[in-house]
Amino acid sequence: MSNSILLAILVILLLAWYLSFSATRLDRCHHRVETSWEHLDALLQRRAALALEIARNSDIDPATEMILTSSAYLSREANIGDREDAETSLSESLKFLRESARNGELTIAVNLIDELTALTDKIRTAIAIHLEAIISVRNLRDKLVFRFFHLAGRAKWPEKYHFEEDEL
Amino acid sequence: MNRKLRIGMVCPYGWDTPGGVQIHMKELAEYFMSQGHVVSLLAPVSDEDALTESWVVPAGRPVPIPFNGAVARILFGPIATSRVRQWIQSGEFDLLHIHEPAIPSLSLLACVAADGPMVATFHASAPKQKAIFAIGPILEPVLEKLNARIAVSEMARETLKVHFETEAVVIPNGISAAKYSHGKRREDWYRPHTLGFLGRFDEQRKGLSVAISGLAEIAKSIPDVQLLVAGPGEQESVLKNIDSATRNRIRFLGRLSEEEKADFFKSIDAYVAPNIRGESFGIILAEAMAGGAPIIASDIQAFSDLLQGGKYGALFVNESHKDLAEKATKILSDENLRRSMSEEGLSFAMTFDWQSVAAQILDVYEVAIAGGTGVTLASENRGWRKLRNE
Repeated sequence: MSNSILLAILVILLLAWYLSFSATRLDRCHHRVETSWEHLDALLQRRAALALEIARNSDIDPATEMILTSSAYLSREANIGDREDAETSLSESLKFLRESARNGELTIAVNLIDELTALTDKIRTAIAIHLEAIISVRNLRDKLVFRFFHLAGRAKWPEKYHFEEDEL
Repeated sequence: MNRKLRIGMVCPYGWDTPGGVQIHMKELAEYFMSQGHVVSLLAPVSDEDALTESWVVPAGRPVPIPFNGAVARILFGPIATSRVRQWIQSGEFDLLHIHEPAIPSLSLLACVAADGPMVATFHASAPKQKAIFAIGPILEPVLEKLNARIAVSEMARETLKVHFETEAVVIPNGISAAKYSHGKRREDWYRPHTLGFLGRFDEQRKGLSVAISGLAEIAKSIPDVQLLVAGPGEQESVLKNIDSATRNRIRFLGRLSEEEKADFFKSIDAYVAPNIRGESFGIILAEAMAGGAPIIASDIQAFSDLLQGGKYGALFVNESHKDLAEKATKILSDENLRRSMSEEGLSFAMTFDWQSVAAQILDVYEVAIAGGTGVTLASENRGWRKLRNE
């Protein structure tokens, strides 16, 4: 009799420990999504600023200047829904610019192009890390025990943005 | 105007992707050529080998860029710039007709690169852009070079006014009215009390779901009512959650050829345009009227403007299937009303015929070329940078 009570207490203790362990794990993953997004966001802001600088300081055509300028401003929007398209525009037009500069069709100050290339590499890595963090949170939250015990609390379901799939 | 002109037209969007601007330009160019004018049209082209029009000059492969909430296939950059300059230099044009110069593409480049008579047509209508303060300073000096501005609708004119504080002449989009006047009623399509819908029906903004809810409502007083749905799309996506009685009143005809379209307008008692948003002109209404179909349309601004506030068709409260059903029931059960709507529509549709629309555009050309000496290349040293820093 006292054995089975002991066993029950043990099971409850184990369960409690497991749940708190899982919640901590999920919390850590959530935290990683947030920090990796902050990092990516900062890089994207730097890219927008660089795009503006390129638009002002090189002899590009007005159509390209217009795309760079408007998407650079829009990528500073707080509303991510408005921002997604602007980021894709920037990805596409900057890719096009780098290709043109590489083929010698366009002259852009070398330091700007170098900075852009380095920044693009960083963004590529930052996106990969951010997506990885999102996937690990999603995988965890899809598990039965996380859903059943509502371990995610009120944390938001981590979103992927379509510009994160752009080819840089 | 008796003089025959050499007209250079510039299209901002990929010529081989379907779109309203491309269709408008193709028909306008063909009409002008049938009148003896010479047209050369510069456009981005994805597949130059598949290009069938000898008068279209490809300027390069367009790049898909999200712009104003849609993905636009546009062309920019140094190579495009030099193609534009080449085309202007060798074209010896009397005048350039540039379409959508406020889009960062070929049209804008042409406007910068050319000097001389230039006319631009603005097609889009959009709420005020967020980044306009940033792109305004780029566009304003360019748009100032235009001798005349044409807006295709009152909404497009408003858009232009809000963004650049500049005025425009309103000249509507054109249709070939004659194409729709020879249609024949197809007995396998028609039965009394038939409504028609045409368009990409699985796009939510086209509003087919409103028409379908309305159909169930109409059936309460007209049990044999039928809705013909023409155009491409995924049937299942609109038919799920629809009861079988209503489902049996809908027939899908698939994509129609131009001749079939004329037959379609003759094989319906009324055309239903339930579009919820995202129309800036509503050319389909003009076509349906030219085909003799009475119109029932939602009261979005483009439709209300085109139908002159309901004078040439019945307007129902947007997204209200009850109101749609009420208007449709009235029209379906009154043959005399249908006949008079059809006759008035037919004569009104002639105002959208190319014959009248192109004549108005020619009038604008005439103003633009008055005293001009033809289109020349803006010299490099008065180039783009100078223009902005002046």
